[in-house]
Amino acid sequence: MSGHHISTDKTLLGVAGALLFLTILTVGVHYIHIPSPWNIIVAMGIAIFKATLVAMFFMNLYWDEQFNSLLLISSIAFFALLVAFTLLDTLFRPEIMPGF
Amino acid sequence: MANHSSSASESRFMQHHFVDADQQFDAAKMGMWIFLVTEILFFGGLFAAYVVYRLWYPELFTLASEELNTLWGGVNTVVLIGSSLTVAMAIKSAQLNQKKNIAINLGITLALAGVFMVIKYFEWTHKFHLGIFPGEFYSFEGIDHPKANIFFSLYYLMTGLHGIHVVIGMGLMAWLLWRSLKGHFNSEYYTPVEITGLYWHLVDIIWIFLFPLFYLID
Repeated sequence: MSGHHISTDKTLLGVAGALLFLTILTVGVHYIHIPSPWNIIVAMGIAIFKATLVAMFFMNLYWDEQFNSLLLISSIAFFALLVAFTLLDTLFRPEIMPGF
Repeated sequence: MANHSSSASESRFMQHHFVDADQQFDAAKMGMWIFLVTEILFFGGLFAAYVVYRLWYPELFTLASEELNTLWGGVNTVVLIGSSLTVAMAIKSAQLNQKKNIAINLGITLALAGVFMVIKYFEWTHKFHLGIFPGEFYSFEGIDHPKANIFFSLYYLMTGLHGIHVVIGMGLMAWLLWRSLKGHFNSEYYTPVEITGLYWHLVDIIWIFLFPLFYLID
């Protein structure tokens, strides 16, 4: 474990190429018009995969101290809690409040 | 690291309260990650608001998204991916002691961030011209939905907060570029490049989510 991993050009360019390909893919899928809810699932799936590539290979988490990965994962977990508990309210209102 | 052992190689930026340069580096990096956690939760509040409103008014998001230009959103995605690549290249250049390449890569990053902001400027001013403003200032007639202003309030808040981060990142890149030209960074010391890189990659990740959430709704 060391924070000083030196990435090769091949790795960096490969990751950038994959991100470029996935960007084109997500735009392409958008024009196919997959029926809901699969369109949002596919779009978010591609975005999560892209974000994972950036985090692992550009932000070096793949080679880094695992504690830094734990920090990132904990922030995502708390974000999920925020969304989940908010939706427990907003999804189950008899009617949306006027002005909202 | 083996090349950190001799005292002669210790950087002038090494601070006395750390055991060695590696400990200083790892402490700075962990500190940056903790800051990034707060950033994720800072944006997280807005993403949560987005989820609430998209589930309340799904048809609004489909209609209003058509006012956003997928081409320019896509170009900006590619621009930010390119800038993330050049930041990673700048760090690699520092690790390999290629001092000139640090400055070149930071310069390209700064330029790409500028391209991103110029495209954003034209996107926003085009909408202002149509009367698409956030909240009560909204006066566009082209979207047949009573809550059309809500979509654009979220759009301006989320891309605006992201844009502020890009501008701050440009300031940091300019500072790093200046320091790299002064020869401050080498394989022994490149902590500011590394942790600013982490910040910049997070800004890229936020955009990776904003792009499909606003531009790619059908």
